[in-house]
Amino acid sequence: MIVALGVVISRELKKTFRQKSRLLASLVRPLIWLFVIGGGIGSIVPSDSNSNYQQAIVPGILGMTLLFGSMLSALTTVYDKESGVMRMFIISPMSSYGIILSKLASSTIAGIVQVIGLLIILFSLRIVDVGQIHITLFIFGLICTALTCSTIGLITAVLSKSLENFAAIMNFVIFPVFFLSGALYPIDNLPPALHWVAVANPFSYGVDLIKHSITSVSVTPDFGKVPDIIVLFVFTVIGVTFSSWRFSQESTSAALVSILSKGRKS
Amino acid sequence: MISARNLTKRYAQNVAVDNLSLEVESGQFFGLLGPNGSGKTTTIHMLSTLLKPSEGSILINGIDVSQNPREVRRQIGLVFQESALDRTLSVEENLLFCAGLHGLKKRQVKERINALLELFNLENKKSAPVASLSGGMRRSVDIIRGVLHQPKILFLDEPTVGLDIQSRRRIWRFIQRLIQDQSLTVILTTHYLEEATPCDITSFIKAGHIVSSGTPDSLIKEFAQTVVEVECDNPDMLLKRIDIPQSQIITDDSSSILIRVLDDKKPDLEKIQTTLSEGAMSFKVRKPNLNDVFLWLTNRREGQGT
Repeated sequence: MIVALGVVISRELKKTFRQKSRLLASLVRPLIWLFVIGGGIGSIVPSDSNSNYQQAIVPGILGMTLLFGSMLSALTTVYDKESGVMRMFIISPMSSYGIILSKLASSTIAGIVQVIGLLIILFSLRIVDVGQIHITLFIFGLICTALTCSTIGLITAVLSKSLENFAAIMNFVIFPVFFLSGALYPIDNLPPALHWVAVANPFSYGVDLIKHSITSVSVTPDFGKVPDIIVLFVFTVIGVTFSSWRFSQESTSAALVSILSKGRKS
Repeated sequence: MISARNLTKRYAQNVAVDNLSLEVESGQFFGLLGPNGSGKTTTIHMLSTLLKPSEGSILINGIDVSQNPREVRRQIGLVFQESALDRTLSVEENLLFCAGLHGLKKRQVKERINALLELFNLENKKSAPVASLSGGMRRSVDIIRGVLHQPKILFLDEPTVGLDIQSRRRIWRFIQRLIQDQSLTVILTTHYLEEATPCDITSFIKAGHIVSSGTPDSLIKEFAQTVVEVECDNPDMLLKRIDIPQSQIITDDSSSILIRVLDDKKPDLEKIQTTLSEGAMSFKVRKPNLNDVFLWLTNRREGQGT
């Protein structure tokens, strides 16, 4: 199991680093948000030298990097199903629980690697000051958020059959999860309907936990630290249990098995 | 080694495998043959833990497949019709990944990977991405993947499907050496009947059950001593002109007639040849092979005798 976990993680990292354009996009995307959206919206939001909009969305942008990194990586489970790599998993002595956990670990690490890349840029541009960070809580928050994003990705992966609905996943999962969280604005100011969606969105709590770890004035958390951690933990456990259960169902494996024989039932 | 009793697999509308039983002994090379849709692949998938039978039981090396599928998967290797490799990774990366999933560390399998690559003439392709390999090489890597964890039983589900004849022959040379070197028990399904000739036992499956089973030689002998193959455009019309019992005639498609020649019921070959000289393109008297047995067993209509 440990060896298996190791090879799954190393495969994920190899793939992350080999796809240079994906890696580059994972760094450029948050920077565009930070400078273009942060600058644009920031210009119409009243600010002073201590508190500005760009600073306020740093936790949200870090969360976004994890959301895209971890979640897209967990979603490669769908690609693995199609390309045939999942065959290696289902004919190995690993349990469905083991397969899902190794995917969870590898996509969490892939997300963390990408966020480290972004942090190096943010620190060197002095957008984030190390002095304003509770390091332990910060790292813990990033890991919890990455786990949550991977879990969202895994749930999506076990529920979707093919990559054809990838655009749908983008529109109906990634964007709502990102926009309907506290990533870009405090959720208290949202209209009631959207407010409740944001409260039900586990990603909100990940971003919130990162907010708690940054002490600059402009960043105001929406919830408490402890509720954040409880929600993220409970969501991950339930999500992983559900994904493993779903993955072990014959309906899921039968679909995989039929790909093994060119979709023929013979 | 493998003992399957009364296997049945039902899907919503149809029965893919119907009360099938089979026994394979340790070290045997077992061929499961039958037309498309006859239930071969479903049977293989049930034997290899990938599908749960609707009814019946399977013991692999004494282990109940439904009770302990993971232990069974440890002891078997599988090569599918479709490749199970990551095309973006290199040959060695794929093999190490697969070994890892079986709990084997790099240093434990490195030598074995090298030896197997050498056996398949692929030692210089070790760091090539799988996407750059030819179809035959990719198949070879898939087979190496299947035996990497030193399984006792190897399932080969149409291992050479879609390959050209040279690659098929090469791969079979490798597989045969592999079987000898590793003293494997092998279960094979294939469309190319000549590939099943070296099998110890072949079983023909039709509509979900086994219709005939035995060594290839005995099946061929049982079928006929000699075969007359008549190539023609319109078999139905020619058949009306000759007086041979239905049970001795096989028409597989619209271009040829096969006539079984049994010692005790020898038809008058000369007479047939004269009668058919008009309309027949060729007239060949030859030894029967497994292909003839296959056509005979799978095209036989119900109620027709042997």
